[in-house]
Amino acid sequence: MKQIDQFESIFRSALKDVYKYRKLSVKSVLVVTDRKESKLEEYLEDLRCFLAVLGTDVKWTIFDDEKHFTAVHLLEKVAEVKPDLICTYRNLHSAAWQYPYSLGEHLDVLMQKTAQPVMILPHPDDTSIYPHAMVNTNRVMTMTDHLAKDHRLIDYGILFTEPQGILFLSHIEDQRTFSRYMEVISRIPDIDTDHAAEEIRARLVKEPSDYIDSCIASAHENKLPIEVKKIVGFGHHISEYRKLIEEHEIDLLIMNSKDDDQLAMHGMTYPLAVELRQIALLFL
Amino acid sequence: MTAGFSFLLLVIIAALAFEEKLHAKKSVIIGVSAIFVLLLGTFFGIIPFGAITLPGGESADMPVYIPAIDWEALAIIIGSDIFVAVSSRSGLFSWIAIRLTKLSRGDPLKLLWYYGLMTVLFSAMLNNVTAMVIVGSLTAVSLSRLNRTADLGPFLVVEALLTNIGGLLTLISSVPNIIVGRIAGITFLAFFAKAAPFVLALTVITLLQAAKQFGVHALKGDEEKEKALQVVSGFDENDGIVSRRFFWFCALMLAAFICTIAAESVLPLVKDLGMGFVALAFATIMLLAYRSQADEFYKAIDWDLIGFFMGLFVVLNVMEHAHVLEALGKGIEMLVGDGRSAGGTGALLLSSAACSSVMDNVPVAAMLAKILAAMNTPGTSRLWWAVVFGANLGGNLTPIGSVSSLVAIAIMQKHGVGMPFMTFCRKVFPFVAIELVLSILYVLAG
Repeated sequence: MKQIDQFESIFRSALKDVYKYRKLSVKSVLVVTDRKESKLEEYLEDLRCFLAVLGTDVKWTIFDDEKHFTAVHLLEKVAEVKPDLICTYRNLHSAAWQYPYSLGEHLDVLMQKTAQPVMILPHPDDTSIYPHAMVNTNRVMTMTDHLAKDHRLIDYGILFTEPQGILFLSHIEDQRTFSRYMEVISRIPDIDTDHAAEEIRARLVKEPSDYIDSCIASAHENKLPIEVKKIVGFGHHISEYRKLIEEHEIDLLIMNSKDDDQLAMHGMTYPLAVELRQIALLFL
Repeated sequence: MTAGFSFLLLVIIAALAFEEKLHAKKSVIIGVSAIFVLLLGTFFGIIPFGAITLPGGESADMPVYIPAIDWEALAIIIGSDIFVAVSSRSGLFSWIAIRLTKLSRGDPLKLLWYYGLMTVLFSAMLNNVTAMVIVGSLTAVSLSRLNRTADLGPFLVVEALLTNIGGLLTLISSVPNIIVGRIAGITFLAFFAKAAPFVLALTVITLLQAAKQFGVHALKGDEEKEKALQVVSGFDENDGIVSRRFFWFCALMLAAFICTIAAESVLPLVKDLGMGFVALAFATIMLLAYRSQADEFYKAIDWDLIGFFMGLFVVLNVMEHAHVLEALGKGIEMLVGDGRSAGGTGALLLSSAACSSVMDNVPVAAMLAKILAAMNTPGTSRLWWAVVFGANLGGNLTPIGSVSSLVAIAIMQKHGVGMPFMTFCRKVFPFVAIELVLSILYVLAG
């Protein structure tokens, strides 16, 4: 019955995911690096400065064992240290970092096999990073194509945003997928194409928009010392995020990579991880 | 000849009862029947043709089937349909529904009570189908979100039962009430004064019984309560409100509509123009808000019901001229006596309920009301109430007895919770048994 479906739609639309703030903390960080002793201290100092938002009460553990640098040893180390965060960069012990085509074996394993968040930093020798990158985290952006109910993503966004900093909560719908569906709809005589395009477009952005509004309300309610801003729209993922990062001088981009079905890792996360090399990225 | 027409009436009733099997809408069945009986009536010369004398003494030429129809009742139905369609657009009813859901804090027992009371209220204000659709779809969405899909069947069964109980509350809550009220000359306030205490008591009894029979309990643990609260807190009652101004306009108009209908018999001018005028006038005022899209709301009118209603009155009019109703009246007179015997009144109520359980209660109420009118039954007789209570509550006996039960079944099927015919009957029987016993006692006591 058409009327049942109409009212169910009204009630489903009224049922929103409301963000509830949960304070996180990082007490232990595992740094996986190939820096030699002479440059290691300098690198660690820069990293501590960049992640000053974590506070001083953090235990830093280094894994730089070149002789035993295998995926097995790395995972054993993670299991032993049980860090709250793993920091590393692309293509360790290799010159491939100069080419934006891969992450390196250790990152492939870390991002998919470990439960901990993995932060991918720009390569220490990379001179093409943005001027604002690796200085501090006062402009952080969370990114997803299914933001609603992503409480954990928001929690990490808040954790990593420095006081008085700005947290951008972004949701970009893929324009190409939308256009593809619209093309199919335009061939179905029973559906008014213009009306469907208008309604679907509005509905696709409404849910994440409402969720972000609840995040902003929660930030106010919990008196968090940060500003939360909303970015919701349509576009091509990688180019749109690259544009946003440059426009808002983002220091850290946070996204999911360990969905139940690993969709993010096989979807837009992997190309972003490979191509966005100018700032730090955090994969949850 | 009377016997022949009586047989014809029986065939028409049987055709209506097997509407689903015939794959034909009831308006079409009754329309064809009306054509046939009009032709037969004309052939046998039983239909009085000629000019009609109007109240001012003037006479007017009019097709014979026009005065056969109760236009006032039709005006009430059409006006109410449009009024409800426009006011639904304001988000008012979904706002009430969501507010109550949030008030329950996601507790199943409170939800059962709030949804139950809301069903009664909505079915009294709207038509039973719209009430069932609103409350039923909200029930499906909220129970699914609360991971309580197993409770969906019992909740919908109770709501289906309560739409017919709520349909008893006022004179305009259901079509049988309008028909019987119009023929018996019962005013809105008199109807409400008689029906309200019973509806209230029966609602409470039904909900207490439902909680016990279906094992719906309150949440106990704090964690469980917190989780449920979080889920229902996600509902935003303002989501469906397009314009705050229109929302309040509709709320005010709804209150004004109910008050005007209630006071119709004493309001100057309005008392002469009647309830149909009130319904159509309010519908037209509401349409002003959507004046450029008014035609969209005409789709909300149940044209099948309107066509059925018109055809039915034409058929009954011919049957009246063929003395069929008089003959049936004599049969009913034997059953109910002079209307004073308890057994007779009870028997009429049960007959009305039994017929309404397998077919549409509109023809049942219309035919019995016409028969009672032909018997010169006074408006104060309890027999009218026996017809009203039986026609409304009888629909609860089977899933095909009322459209709201069919809506409930459709929602269950949509959510993969099937309920076969006999299971439905088995589940509702204890409720209906109590309803009928109490209604007989109440009618006899009145």
